[in-house]
Amino acid sequence: MATISVPLIGGRAVEGKRFGISDILRWTVDHKVIGIQYMLTASFFFIVGGALAMLIRWELLTPTLDIMADGQQYNQLFSIHGTVMIFLWIVPMMAGFGNYLLPLMLGAKDMAFPWLNAFAFWLIPPAGILMLMGWFVGQAEAGWTSYPPLSTLYSLDGQTLWAMSLHLLGLSSILGAVNFIVTIKNMRPVGMGYFQMPLFVWAILATSIIILMATPFLAGALTLLILDRVVGTQFFNPAQGGDVLLWQNVFWFYSHPAVYIMVLPAFGILSEVLSVHARKPIFGYRAIALSSLAIALVGFTVWAHHMFTSLTPELRIPFMITSMIIAVPTGIKVFSWLGTLFMGKIRFTSAMLFGLGFLSMFVIGGISGVMLASVPYNIHVHDTYFVVSHLHFVLYGGSVFGIYAGLYHWFPKISGRMLDERLGRLHFIVTYISFFFTFFPQHILGMSGMPRRVAVYAPEYQSLNVVVSIASFILGISTFILIWNVIVSLRAGKRASANPWRALTLEWATSSPPPVTNFIGDPVPYRNPYGYGSESANAYLNALESAYGPSEHPSPDAPKAIKPAPAAGD
Amino acid sequence: MNLSTRSPGSAGSGISPIWVVAAGLAIIFGGLLIGSFAPAILPPQASAESRQIDALFRFMLAIGGSIFLLVQGMLVYSVIRFRAKPGDASDGAPIHGNTTLEFVWTIIPAIIVTVLALYSVSVWNSTHSIKPNEQTVGAVGARYAWTFNYQLDARALPSGVTLDQLEPNIRAAVENGGLTLSSTQLHTWVNQPVAVSMNTQDVNHAFWIPGMRVKQDLLAGRTTEIRFTPIEAGVYRIVCAELCGSGHGNMAGSVDVNGNLVGAWLIVHESEDAFRSEFFDPLARAALFPPEDPVERGRQILASGVYPCASCHVVDDLGWNGAVGPNLNNVGSRAATRVAGESAEEYLRISIRMPGAYLVPGYNNLMPQFNAEPGQPNYMPDDDLDAIIAYLLTLKTS
Ligand code: HEC
Ligand SMILES: [Cu+2]
Repeated sequence: MATISVPLIGGRAVEGKRFGISDILRWTVDHKVIGIQYMLTASFFFIVGGALAMLIRWELLTPTLDIMADGQQYNQLFSIHGTVMIFLWIVPMMAGFGNYLLPLMLGAKDMAFPWLNAFAFWLIPPAGILMLMGWFVGQAEAGWTSYPPLSTLYSLDGQTLWAMSLHLLGLSSILGAVNFIVTIKNMRPVGMGYFQMPLFVWAILATSIIILMATPFLAGALTLLILDRVVGTQFFNPAQGGDVLLWQNVFWFYSHPAVYIMVLPAFGILSEVLSVHARKPIFGYRAIALSSLAIALVGFTVWAHHMFTSLTPELRIPFMITSMIIAVPTGIKVFSWLGTLFMGKIRFTSAMLFGLGFLSMFVIGGISGVMLASVPYNIHVHDTYFVVSHLHFVLYGGSVFGIYAGLYHWFPKISGRMLDERLGRLHFIVTYISFFFTFFPQHILGMSGMPRRVAVYAPEYQSLNVVVSIASFILGISTFILIWNVIVSLRAGKRASANPWRALTLEWATSSPPPVTNFIGDPVPYRNPYGYGSESANAYLNALESAYGPSEHPSPDAPKAIKPAPAAGD
Repeated sequence: MNLSTRSPGSAGSGISPIWVVAAGLAIIFGGLLIGSFAPAILPPQASAESRQIDALFRFMLAIGGSIFLLVQGMLVYSVIRFRAKPGDASDGAPIHGNTTLEFVWTIIPAIIVTVLALYSVSVWNSTHSIKPNEQTVGAVGARYAWTFNYQLDARALPSGVTLDQLEPNIRAAVENGGLTLSSTQLHTWVNQPVAVSMNTQDVNHAFWIPGMRVKQDLLAGRTTEIRFTPIEAGVYRIVCAELCGSGHGNMAGSVDVNGNLVGAWLIVHESEDAFRSEFFDPLARAALFPPEDPVERGRQILASGVYPCASCHVVDDLGWNGAVGPNLNNVGSRAATRVAGESAEEYLRISIRMPGAYLVPGYNNLMPQFNAEPGQPNYMPDDDLDAIIAYLLTLKTS
């Protein structure tokens, strides 16, 4: 029988305090506060990006221009919607999860470079302000992809601010990645080899490698763009010997891997959530861990599949082949997650519902992704609503559902309060259904001939657009159920014990919220982060419960007569 | 060892093979059924390419549909079958993996994508290859209109026209390389392979005909090509698919209130004869025998669509309904009084050569400048300008 190791317990006198607004607004090097700062900032921009999306869908209720003065205003809307959602919502939100969780999962007291960590975060607010300032000087209007010469010779000054803002965000992301990699390499606790790490940590590792390798290319492209716009160089101006495809190649060399930057952490969240709430070991741990690395590497060879209608015809087939190959490791993950559910004891917590929703919606994005990889079919649907649909199934059905699952799962840890499960279920149902009706019909719109990025369209597409718009308004409103839930629960939610879900990873082996130093002493991780269903895991979890208070589903054979955990901060 | 956390016998392990086979068949037939929806979603097949591409899509949709059903089926099954009963706080079965299964679900997707890749390569090779006897057409994209250029050389003269009927300068042009005929529409005929070679005057655009299933970007500084073979007579919308600026959405064929086609459309005639008699010959005659009357010539030039005025202005006489610039229906009556000291003729000349000089109240400086020198963007020879002005001056409503 394995030895049962329970982290040193007893430091609850110095237990974590709740953070007030003033803590959030301050410079601090505590990774937990920084994680929360990331999450709050990102959530603010999620609302900004969401409001822009609502305006877009309002405009598209009819085939003609309605609320926008002209096409240019509309182009500015979706350009900033896309950029904000990618660079100021999903990427920093994932960084927030990484920052908050990584040291806890590794039993560490902080990140490897706490000061750098804070610095990386504080680059984001000015970058966000710079991006929104564009509206005062003529906002960027060339889409989030900003192809020259539209973005160089034909755009207003907001385009320059846009590029400068992305420069800052890229730098922030690179610094964060360095920090994650060094932390994972050096700060694992005794007894945790690479293959004992939680899969979320694996996901952050793979993501950080991608960021480190890819983001400098974005910086290069942006520098050329700024020089063309401001200094008068002609890198992208064919009339002066420049080349418009240069931008497309370098931009996508970053931006395709960026898709994995946004979705791999969500995969990591999903692995944690599914295993814990299905009470079952993750199926094929090594396959999931290594497929992230495979995706990270192969992800660097597929960029030109975004350029099938502009790339030299001879080069299209090679990129099709790499793009199809990358479907295989993604498929492995999906089947492994299904295997995890099989023969589990599934609990329909809000976190789990979003996890299941992720799985079922992401699959649609995966299937349409393989279709898009096929050159002849891609030629027809490239730059249409089919692509808009595909990318939202991946980034909303995948990344955002993953973020939601993670929020319901870790909110108790972060805040010391449980979220309201009834509101959580309501949030899930409304979001899931309205998400589907917002994005699924867009496949049909694209295939039948509606291009993306237009404010005026042929009248025959109106009826489906009305369906999409109405569903999207409901989707927009559904977000407020979550916000409401967070506000109510922060004030009066049920107190969370250290380990409400009876999970084995280390972040649950300390009070909720954790003390400033995370753990009192050096915690010893349970030898298998997904060892559910074993006798020793059960004993370990029972020991945690008796030390820190009962979980939401206490084990019947857990020691009786346990007091609830003293509330944090009381 | 016997903890309450385990009850493997109760869950899942006893699924009978008959059910597995039945589910497998259901998934495959379900996939085929989903695949059969493909024609309902795609526009009608009107090109040789669309047949192959749609077949490919249908194949992918059937496979994708099966995978969808498999995954969602597994998900729903697990969610129902393996849900924790109320009060059951135990854990699931401690299964950590299964090498055979993992091998299978690596190999099968690998085989599927290999098949898809091979199938796609074969479709691609046949659809983008050069065909014999192609009709070659030039396309120019400019914000926010398309122009199609047809070559008129000595071999393509309209029936009944011979070289010696032509004016000497026109005859010389026809003999040395030919005349360029322009239209806002792309005309061809059934079963004629078409090759379009494309340039842009400004930003990138993308040429897309959903009915033909073909698309290609126009890249600043390069000439790109696209080819297709229509197989059904009819009219097919041409769409700009690459964001090109404020009027991007207008850079597509549309239908006006009277049901007339406006802007970029592909017109597929029944036969080459129909193509010639309905489209090419009249256009060619007009170019070979320009009307003496400048007013008529001006009208002809504007109607041909060589210049992209239609997307911005209204002229009822020509069926234009653009809304970016002022309505030109009675520009002839107001031109003289627009700017003190400029005659009507002079005002119109400046409006076209230097649109920024005098802005019509309520409008921005959005009109492109039409230049007098060949080689400059938006080249408009003086001859054409004179004729256009002559025509515009006749636009008066009572
Ligand atoms: C991109 C849109 C656009 C295109 C293309 C365009 N125009 Fe204009 N046009 C405008 C706008 C906007 C104005 C008003 C501002 C100004 O005076 O420059 C205008 C003004 C004019 C005027 C003055 C009208 C008045 O009421 O005084 C004339 C004449 C004119 N255009 C003719 C043409 C002709 C002929 C063409 C094609 C060769 C053409 N335009 C192409 C947008 C356009
Ligand atoms: Cu265009």
